[in-house]
Amino acid sequence: MTTTAPLTRPAASPAASATTLAITGMGVVSPFGDRSSDFVEAIVAGRTSLADVAGHFDAPLPRPEGHYLAGLDARAHLGRKGTSTMDRTTVLTLVAAAEALSGHGDVVERSRFGMVLGTTAGSTRSTSDYSLATFVEDKPYLVNPMIFPNAVMNCAAGQTAIRHGLRGVNATVAGGQTAVLSALRYARRMIALDRADHLLVGAAEELSPQWAWEHHHTVGRLGATTPAGEGSALFVVESAATVAPGRAVLAEVLATEVRTHPTRDGRDEDFGDTLAAAIEAALADAGVTAGDVWAVASSENGSRLDAHEDRAIRAVVGPDPLRVRVKHSLGEARSASTALQLAALVGLSTSGTAPRGAVMLATSHTPDGSVGATVLRGGGDA
Amino acid sequence: MSRRVVITGVGPISSIGTGAESFHAGLTAGRSGVSPIASFDSTGFPHVMAGEVHDFEPARHVRHLDPARWGRTSLFSAAAARLAVQDSGIDDELLHTGRAGSCMGTTGGESQVLEQLTGESVDGGFEAVDGTRFAQVPAARLAAAVNEELGMLGEAFTLATACSASNYAVGHAYDAIRSGESDYVIAGGADSVGRWSHAGFFRLGAVAESQCRPFDRDRTGIITGEGGAAVFLESLDSATARGARVYAEVLGYGLNCDANHMTAPDKDSIKHCMRLAHENAGVTPEDVDYISAHGTGTPANDLTEGSAICEVFEGSPPPTSSIKSMLGHTMGAASAFSVIATVLAIHRSFLPPTINFENLDPRIEGLDPVPNEARDATVDIAQVNGFAFGGNNAITIFGSAR
Repeated sequence: MTTTAPLTRPAASPAASATTLAITGMGVVSPFGDRSSDFVEAIVAGRTSLADVAGHFDAPLPRPEGHYLAGLDARAHLGRKGTSTMDRTTVLTLVAAAEALSGHGDVVERSRFGMVLGTTAGSTRSTSDYSLATFVEDKPYLVNPMIFPNAVMNCAAGQTAIRHGLRGVNATVAGGQTAVLSALRYARRMIALDRADHLLVGAAEELSPQWAWEHHHTVGRLGATTPAGEGSALFVVESAATVAPGRAVLAEVLATEVRTHPTRDGRDEDFGDTLAAAIEAALADAGVTAGDVWAVASSENGSRLDAHEDRAIRAVVGPDPLRVRVKHSLGEARSASTALQLAALVGLSTSGTAPRGAVMLATSHTPDGSVGATVLRGGGDA
Repeated sequence: MSRRVVITGVGPISSIGTGAESFHAGLTAGRSGVSPIASFDSTGFPHVMAGEVHDFEPARHVRHLDPARWGRTSLFSAAAARLAVQDSGIDDELLHTGRAGSCMGTTGGESQVLEQLTGESVDGGFEAVDGTRFAQVPAARLAAAVNEELGMLGEAFTLATACSASNYAVGHAYDAIRSGESDYVIAGGADSVGRWSHAGFFRLGAVAESQCRPFDRDRTGIITGEGGAAVFLESLDSATARGARVYAEVLGYGLNCDANHMTAPDKDSIKHCMRLAHENAGVTPEDVDYISAHGTGTPANDLTEGSAICEVFEGSPPPTSSIKSMLGHTMGAASAFSVIATVLAIHRSFLPPTINFENLDPRIEGLDPVPNEARDATVDIAQVNGFAFGGNNAITIFGSAR
């Protein structure tokens, strides 16, 4: 994807332009395919990736349908070295990372090139399988030392750093559905405080029996109609003020808010007011108005919490913006879903579906009271 | 904006003591918190010692959370936060704002909940499991528990950068307050002893039989541990205005990534991280009076870290001790426990010891590990090291507020 003409921008507040991030690379692995072009094309065409996925797993799933990228060939993408012991979350991350970083080969000095990766609990399949081995093997310590790091949440970020020589700030943010929003805030802070120049920001989640059963007992209990899914989306971000000449800017991240709704220890589910305040604050920090918003990528999954999110969005931006609901076509993949929401907005921009410089909003929330919103401005045409 | 940031409250929940006074007493006495594993069936493991917090009673500490709804690690997190807030003396009504938030680090998150569910799935699969506890699995619950317990409305941020995570957390809190983004932040870490991690570290050959012996010639590995460690941070102006007792000032920190090997540490990268931390804090090696080491007790870490220290400090390193000798390796809480020990050291003028020490590893000649007994000393500037799987390095620097 390339953008050749400079962006034209509405007047922005000084605070916003001082900390605006440019997205200069994107990689997406989704049930639609192992490249961002597969994802963007499917989103624009309105396709779904819903399929019968039960046959991909040895253990039974709570329901046969889900969203899964069949035939993801780790060796074809990543070579032979080390790939046979990699967990799927790491593979999803590495494949997206390779695409996202493909335009940054000129950045040879990578001591200030880092990563901020969102997750919910890492590869829970790996952690659970590791526990299982301690119960079923002849001795509880007869576990495989080669795959021990896979069971620790920072595995994917560590492996990405090794593969691409990213020696800068390397952080794993366990924020679930709002992880990538927290990651964007962290990235913005790192760049503004001169701790990093380039950061690979995003999230990855794999479909596994463990996630499918967790989904069944959690999101499912809230009435979610979308089954469990998977995916990864990673973005190279850097200060918008110092993008190298000739480097394409796919979109800009103007502002991101993440706040806590007091759930009263689970008794108060309605986070609508807190989310509305977060959206308003993000728009203000971005130096744009509610009327500027052209599209909203929100996190509806069919559960009863959708109404709270929708009410908050409508209260601030009204009914006019285009509404994008990626989980309806890609399933519930928590941190990765929010990253895919962002990828969808970037894709609408780069495909020319969105007007040049369109202001776009993404929102998300967790069952534990975290709510968030981010404001993007689209770049030029593909 | 660039405000000075201080630590005015500490909340340790550890195997050597709960609360500032008990923890301090444990450090100065060189108390060992290591005991036979009780939280899981250790039958069949050759090494069965750990630094468990046997006397942890969440209900004694948390006021707003229902302990039955949260996993052990989230409860460590929230209880430690409550202790830190109480220790700070701040009116906790002031925390009911979007300008107050939390940042907690962890290695395993709530993986021991997932482990319990997995254990129940052994015979009949996950379809036979009572799934109500799946809701407790997301690691974000650690920071969510803190915000919920304290009524904080700002960002609840959980960092999963493994065994250096709580140093990342303290660094994040420093940036957030310094820049004016937040006024009050609870930062720290929490982890619980678990079967899968005990097995995994043992299988790597990294677990000692009975003692953690950092920097000793005959050291054999870690002792797995657990706990919750939190510190309360605010601006110096805020602390001064309310007459708070200031333990120490946060001077700065550095982060980098080895990008080399998932489990073996990289000396040059660690040296670079120290230099980044010193530069950010505006100090030189000569300024540093004490280092609280990562000091896990493994042959690899202590040689790499010890050598890195000797080289960065050009053969004259300051006293360097590892409290993992007392607590075991508390994983995501480890750096925060070191931070608490370090700010107590600064405030109360002592050096925590490295216990179980007999002979220095001859390859790190010149290192003074403060063997076996705590020592009176003036500590004006101190460094806390945190390293982890994935080469996730984080080093924080603290200064006296005198």
